[in-house]
Amino acid sequence: MTPRTLWQRLRSIIRPSTVNDEIEREIQFHLDMEAESRQLAGADPEQARREAQRRFGGRVQAREQVHDVRGMTFWDQLRQDIRFGIRTLRRSKGYTAAAVAILALGIGANTAMFSVLHGVLLEPLPFADSQELVLIEQEGRQSQVVQAGVSIPELFGYRERLTGVTDLVEYHSMSFTLLNQGEPDRVDTGVVSANFFDMLGIRPLHGRVFLEHEDDIGAEAVLMLSHQYWVEKFGEDPNVIGKVLEMNNRPHTVVGVLPEFPEFPRHNDVYMPTSACPFRSGAEQQLPAGGHRSFAGLVVLGRLAPGATAASVTPELQTIASAFEADYEDDYIQAGVTGLAASAKPLHDELTEDVQALTWILSGVTLLVLLIACANVANLSLARTTQRQRELAVRAALGAGRGRLIRQLLTESLLIAIVGGVLGIALAWVSLDLLIDFVARFTARTGQINIDTTVLGYSIAAALLSGLAFGLVPALSTRRNVVNSMRTGGAQSGDTPGRQYVRSTLVVAQVAVSCVLLVGAGLLIESAYRLAAEPLGFRGDRVLTAAYFGNFSQSQPLEFNARMLDRVRAIPGVLAAATTNAVPQTAITPGVFAFEVEGRATPAGVRRVTDPNVASDGYFDVLEIDRISGRDFSIGDTADAPVVAIINASMAKHWDGADPVGTRFRVELPNQPWRTVIGVVPDFRLYSADQEVEVPAQYYSPVTQNNGFAGRIMVRTAGEPMTFVPAIKEAIHSVDPQTPIEEVQTLADLRDERQASPRLTTILLVLFAGVALTITLVGLAGVIGTSVNQRTREFGLRLALGASPRGVLSLVLKQGLILVGVGLVVGVAGAFAFSEVLAAYLYNTPTTDLSAYVGVVVVFLVAAAVACLGPARRATSIDPLTSLKSD
Amino acid sequence: MARNSRTDLLQGTLDMLILKTLALGPQHGWGISQRIQQVSQDVLQVNQGSLYPALHRLELQGWIASDWGVSDTNRQAKFYRLTRTGQKQLQAETDNWARVTEAVARIMNMTTS
Repeated sequence: MTPRTLWQRLRSIIRPSTVNDEIEREIQFHLDMEAESRQLAGADPEQARREAQRRFGGRVQAREQVHDVRGMTFWDQLRQDIRFGIRTLRRSKGYTAAAVAILALGIGANTAMFSVLHGVLLEPLPFADSQELVLIEQEGRQSQVVQAGVSIPELFGYRERLTGVTDLVEYHSMSFTLLNQGEPDRVDTGVVSANFFDMLGIRPLHGRVFLEHEDDIGAEAVLMLSHQYWVEKFGEDPNVIGKVLEMNNRPHTVVGVLPEFPEFPRHNDVYMPTSACPFRSGAEQQLPAGGHRSFAGLVVLGRLAPGATAASVTPELQTIASAFEADYEDDYIQAGVTGLAASAKPLHDELTEDVQALTWILSGVTLLVLLIACANVANLSLARTTQRQRELAVRAALGAGRGRLIRQLLTESLLIAIVGGVLGIALAWVSLDLLIDFVARFTARTGQINIDTTVLGYSIAAALLSGLAFGLVPALSTRRNVVNSMRTGGAQSGDTPGRQYVRSTLVVAQVAVSCVLLVGAGLLIESAYRLAAEPLGFRGDRVLTAAYFGNFSQSQPLEFNARMLDRVRAIPGVLAAATTNAVPQTAITPGVFAFEVEGRATPAGVRRVTDPNVASDGYFDVLEIDRISGRDFSIGDTADAPVVAIINASMAKHWDGADPVGTRFRVELPNQPWRTVIGVVPDFRLYSADQEVEVPAQYYSPVTQNNGFAGRIMVRTAGEPMTFVPAIKEAIHSVDPQTPIEEVQTLADLRDERQASPRLTTILLVLFAGVALTITLVGLAGVIGTSVNQRTREFGLRLALGASPRGVLSLVLKQGLILVGVGLVVGVAGAFAFSEVLAAYLYNTPTTDLSAYVGVVVVFLVAAAVACLGPARRATSIDPLTSLKSD
Repeated sequence: MARNSRTDLLQGTLDMLILKTLALGPQHGWGISQRIQQVSQDVLQVNQGSLYPALHRLELQGWIASDWGVSDTNRQAKFYRLTRTGQKQLQAETDNWARVTEAVARIMNMTTS
């Protein structure tokens, strides 16, 4: 096809009126010339004109043939259909509005969920060749250490020996006090290799990334600011480059500002090379003296060598890891890691694994909602086609072929689909921020969630497919009906039994799918209820918690801890105060350590594991937990005194009913002391119940025997806890003014926060299920309503013959409830099959939980009865006389 | 072209005649029909209603092109002209026509032996 012919073809489509105009002019010219030549031959003008037209033949046919040749006929008809469609749709506003609204809901939910699916799971990470990025993971298989971390010598060893993964870089996070213009600011600091950002392919927004030797021991300390910190603290000032900030008693020069990127594994305010972190560089400097597990808290990332996969490099990693353990056995035993295992995991998986299942489930749910919406609109338009029978019959009689009629109906549904789609996309657009907030609870990868061309393409495709789906059903059912209506004069615009069957099937399908969604929502609600009803075992009201970061360069931790507690307890209105590393309901995970009980051999098959925690005296008073036996910690429990512990009831079970107080146990790791049990407390929910179904065995050692390190303070107050914040801060700062205090929250807020994610998941699913239920019920009412309209004469006759209105009412209700009943049977079976996917999100609730199923069935039946009541009452109020005369 | 395969002999002939006429120089639709009629000494009458679909088809095939110009009688008219691919097509059709007429002639000239 040459450019010119292509242009000719295009012109026919995009400028049809110009092309048509030209055809007209061309034909007119021909007729003029013909007439003129006849006039020259002696004919009079009028006769010449008529003769010219006669010779030419049908002018309109000639034009239409040219249109055909130019492929314009299809577009001509399409334009007609659209114009006609818009006119008809404007005439039936109710139908159009309902159909558009239902579709907008369906498309909107799908667009929003797909943008999440696309941005989080389908798009590659915004790093250079991100599919090559892997995380090196180590675990202690025998000692049940799940996340062993990687140590400095291990990293160096991997760098030296590993061939399947190159460019290994390290990361860990620290919390430092940064002095910016005299104001102390606690900053989360990412401590990384110098080539960390180069390896990921992250370019700085301003300045530069770290240079090759900036992580060498003794290098000048430099910093990069995260995008968020730069915005919040420096007001997006580009001149921040070169600024010198004080940190760890050293000047740090800001060399660059980072762009936004999915920060892994957590957000940091600033980033520094490993040499600038005093702990990390100190550990590295001491390496020559030994210590193969030195500083084992590194996250190690690397790039797969060409051709390698995460699975293919794991054997090589394992070989190296086993060699580490063989060469430095003592170091590993000392660190409590035995059976060292190493593997590689794609970074994409690591970043998204928490959100994968949820996203797929919710995407599936929205797709089901869209299916229901389509079935519903199909039903609406079927009902409408029935009412338009006469019009369609007339058009058929006037020569419109069946294909043309189907096309007309399809055009109308596609118009609705397009408008619904556009509105749906707008709906998704306005609600996307809320959804992003939700997803951010599970993944750092929210930066790429937006409605881009791919998402738009998906939504438009979904809209058009929906239009086809719900347009095809009524369109294909027109054939017999047109003939029928012609035969009956189009007067009795009734449904054929076939069409009634299609409509009933659609309702049953909607009920079934809604039922699946409702059961899912019901299970989540049941689970949330059980979780909330779970007794905590402590009193969480009026307790304030805060994190503090002692600046121990000025006071000894032990002394700091004691003085801080004294001052806080002296505040009027403070009932109790304690320091600990274990604040209930925070996002901490229980430890799993094997222990032995003195004088009690561990029987075969019994695993004695416990979760160690640190608490000061008064911890159980703050939580209002009454001891079962023994005493609380006291100032006498110093580092020189016997090592003591308080255990919980679950741990006390290992004493087989004997009183543990006064006896000793020991964590089975080298250098662990025997601990004397001084008290037993009841089990309580230190960890959220969705995390640990059973309360694990736990013990508490006193802060005073932990060098005074705790990290968090908890205060029980007589009044509203938040009003005590200034007094508590002042008390702590009176001990050491340079102590940052953060995360000030009440225990109640903490608990709320922990439950926010599952609650939001539940709310989303309940919302979707509610939409599905509403749409389904509206559809049901519509079908029953249409059926009542058709049976007007029958009901009139029944009433005239003495049927009671009650009888008629129950007749109609029965019709609706039978449809719902059939749908529920299918739906319950479907829910049984599909609810398994929710199992991971349910707390102590089997997916076959009877109450959820019964609840859904009851709710559905009652709601359906209410929905059918309207049409049913109309049936009872039919005036027999009118109905019989109406034909 | 699928459309082409549907053209019957008469229409195929019309296409060839149009191309041949335009080989002599650009011409508008009416001019083409007059020329064919004159040269064939009124033996061939162009069905004028089917002339224009044929012209547009040939144009979409790229064998002829069109421009708006001014006619002898000072009117706006659409002039068609032969393109380079059109010339090749005309040559092919001329050869084919010669072969067909020769073959037909041979059959018609058969003598009973």
